[in-house]
Amino acid sequence: MRRIPFKKCSGLAALIVVCAALAQDKVPLKTQLPRPLFVGTPVPLNVPNLEPPIKGKRPDFLVPAGTINLAKNKKVMASDDNPVTGTLDLVTDGDKAGDEGSWVELGPGKQWVQIDLAKSANIYAVLLWHFHSQARVYRDVVAQISDDPTFKSGATTIFNNDFKNELGLGAGKDLNYVETYQGKLIDAKGAKGRYLRLYSNGNTTNKLNDYIEVEVWGKPA
Amino acid sequence: MDHAATPPRWIRWSVFLMIALGGLALRLPQLGVRPMHTDEAVNAYIVGQLLSGEAFSYDPQDRHGPALAAIALPLSRIRGARTFSDLTEADLRLSSVLAGTVTILLFGAAVNMYGFGPCLIAAMLVSCSPLPVYYDRYFIHESLFVAATFGLILSGWRTCKGNSIMPAALAGACAALMITCKETAILHFFALAAALVFWFWNSRETRLRDFLRPKSMLVAAVTFLALSLVLLTWFGKNWRAPATLTHLIPDLIARAGGEGHQKPFWYYGQLLNAGWSGGILLALACIGLVITIAKRDRSPFGFLAFYTLLLCITYSLIPYKTPWLTLNLWLPLSLFTARAVELFCCMAAKRLGNRASIPILCVMGALAFALIAHDTWQRVFAHPTDENNPYAYAHTSEDLLGLPAEISDLARQNGIASPRIAVIASDPWPLPWYLRRFSQVGFWQPGQQPGEADFYITSTDVSEQCADRLQSYRPEFFGMRPGVLILLWSPVMK
Repeated sequence: MRRIPFKKCSGLAALIVVCAALAQDKVPLKTQLPRPLFVGTPVPLNVPNLEPPIKGKRPDFLVPAGTINLAKNKKVMASDDNPVTGTLDLVTDGDKAGDEGSWVELGPGKQWVQIDLAKSANIYAVLLWHFHSQARVYRDVVAQISDDPTFKSGATTIFNNDFKNELGLGAGKDLNYVETYQGKLIDAKGAKGRYLRLYSNGNTTNKLNDYIEVEVWGKPA
Repeated sequence: MDHAATPPRWIRWSVFLMIALGGLALRLPQLGVRPMHTDEAVNAYIVGQLLSGEAFSYDPQDRHGPALAAIALPLSRIRGARTFSDLTEADLRLSSVLAGTVTILLFGAAVNMYGFGPCLIAAMLVSCSPLPVYYDRYFIHESLFVAATFGLILSGWRTCKGNSIMPAALAGACAALMITCKETAILHFFALAAALVFWFWNSRETRLRDFLRPKSMLVAAVTFLALSLVLLTWFGKNWRAPATLTHLIPDLIARAGGEGHQKPFWYYGQLLNAGWSGGILLALACIGLVITIAKRDRSPFGFLAFYTLLLCITYSLIPYKTPWLTLNLWLPLSLFTARAVELFCCMAAKRLGNRASIPILCVMGALAFALIAHDTWQRVFAHPTDENNPYAYAHTSEDLLGLPAEISDLARQNGIASPRIAVIASDPWPLPWYLRRFSQVGFWQPGQQPGEADFYITSTDVSEQCADRLQSYRPEFFGMRPGVLILLWSPVMK
């Protein structure tokens, strides 16, 4: 059988994605990226079970036209009422810079932050910046969407790399990743809900949980 | 110097013993809690080699001298360690804690030189201030080196002042301890000699030849050579070591260039100024130093002023800087801080009278103590490895403490009784320390092919070379130091 070269194959796939996007009236998600603060730790490439680093700019992520950041300046709650550093409003204030004073730091161990989008919405992407002035990996990152502010019912898990089920939300299959200035993009696949809750369980530098900014890209339901 | 206010000998020593015990009590709690810094891990590994019967192999390029290991070895044995894997953080750090305690106690012997008041205040400062407490709990050479330096200053002074050969022998022993501790001893010897010359030139009345007695000089030199030789050859077992000393100066010059530890000229000033109490103590030290120099002081303070200035300038000019070197500056500066405090107390008593000045000085003293206590608590106990702690330098992350436990857990879950661990990294330290209790651990450099293993630990830049081998392994990140990650590759659970 004649083999199709890999480059041709991937080009064809990209063309199909773009055509499909155009058919559904999709547009690339446009967000303002902060200034990079470190050149980046070299992470392994071509290792199948580890998330590869982004080389240069992240490839376009397509979302339906009219999708906006619903989290901007929205109310934030957290499991830690007295953050070690900063205030909860920093999570949605639009400032993604990694300099001191830009992040809120929650206490050690398992913690969560929750954003109230004010109305139920179809969410297509979540962009998350924990900390990007040095190479760090945040442990047990879980993202859930729900219409229930207590997340006891109707929670949709859109990301979970807690593979040891430390948080008790079920063992996740997503991969660990190194924080960078480009943030972590989570495909929410149009999940519906008013609240976004993000869990973490310390990081590779200390046991604390930092959030610089969270963007929730979607359309009111 | 007028020592009329000096209390009787037994009271004086009782007081300094109490302060030293207070300093010891402050240095001992939670001694094993802070993760092992890379330098501590290297020193621990050397002690482990000695425990297994190997001789100390002196390499001035990569390691410092054997003095620290010579003290840590018997202490570890007393605490029951027989092999590297038996060692604990507390066992090893005890050597530095004791060296720091001896430094405090030595202020009792310094009363004849600097007076009771300044020595009392300086001893209290060293016993409870954040910087000395922090680094006296580090298993590195600095605390022992500082104790030996102080010993050399005190015994050297006594040698010059009297005819007894005992202080001369002590001075030789202290100098030997310094050179077998760290190669930077050369800088200190130079600074001490130059300060002595400046001080004589400043004194004018005293002649150098009255001070340097041939008999004492000979005793000091013989003791210095004998002890240095005993330690460097590790009690006669390694006679190649003294020859490596010929590389000492070129190595020292090469290292002084920075080797990745380059810092600005004012780095030590920033460290001394850090915290709530740093600025006050540094300002007082500067006042004490300036007054001493301006007065053309002919007391031992004059000598100490020249030594301190030379040391501060030399250390600041050398691009290679690490924060624990500040401990060398802290010792003489504490005496100048104490001198300034004593001068302020005298001025206050003179102008306001005792009734008014005593309560004011007590309040100020209590305030200063509160500031120092706050800084010591924050730096030493609350946030010893925090990146905002200026004393924590490229410190091992607390996250790494979870690595051995994780390997043990995963090995048990996978039914592996004795896991084989392969580490592939160009700089694996401090992993040898954290993996010391596993019997099958191998270390490889990037590019080398490791053997078969149950667990692999790789730096992030070398994982790709093992991609085929790691196909069926689950990666997990661990923080080695701030911004430095490693990966633990474990077999996927059956």
